[in-house]
Amino acid sequence: MIDLIAALLMAVAAVTSIVFTYLAVVEKNLVQAVVFSAVQSTMYALIYFLLMAPDIVLVYLPVGVGIYPAIVLLLIKKTDKVDE
Amino acid sequence: MNELIIPYLLTVVFVSFVINLVIALYGIFARPTLVKKIIALTIFSDSLNSLAIFVGYRVVSGRVPAPPVVVNYTSPQGPAQLAKVAVDPLPQALVLTAIVIGLAVTLFMVKVTMQVHRVYGTTSVRKLERIEYVNKEEKSEGVVE
Repeated sequence: MIDLIAALLMAVAAVTSIVFTYLAVVEKNLVQAVVFSAVQSTMYALIYFLLMAPDIVLVYLPVGVGIYPAIVLLLIKKTDKVDE
Repeated sequence: MNELIIPYLLTVVFVSFVINLVIALYGIFARPTLVKKIIALTIFSDSLNSLAIFVGYRVVSGRVPAPPVVVNYTSPQGPAQLAKVAVDPLPQALVLTAIVIGLAVTLFMVKVTMQVHRVYGTTSVRKLERIEYVNKEEKSEGVVE
């Protein structure tokens, strides 16, 4: 039963990540696109945890949710705010 | 019944990664702004890493597989017992390296994009291809004449 629940959570997180990837790619406002990308990274971290890779989660969560959005937000602050 | 549902759900996960790859490739090639290309490229690399980890996953009937951490290392049967229920540790070790290298590459691309915006005043490739290159030395010579 527990393996079925794990697979179900994995599938739900994967389908949710498709939605947020699409939103991050088509969004015109770049700040919102970075936020959608961070949510998609959270979904991937949940999938990594359910795929039994706890060491990847410990590295990917600070990098994908913390450092990537931080440096890209810094870049957006110094350059254009809106996708053409 | 679980033997039918679990492979179906894992197939959904695999197909989701492939769809994410395709959407991210569309973002890299079709969106004009360099910042959006960087965001799509990080999603692309993360999806590829996820596919690599997914290859190392295995289904153990009746329970979730164990993470590849040897707990019972004092007994000689400990690693053998773990190998019956644990996932493959090799893709995880490779992906751990790939994530850190990807971070360094992203930092480099961010710095290059900042420099492009400083020199040309825009990050849109559709505007960049219309900008004519002006050599500063020729321009200053023209002023002297």
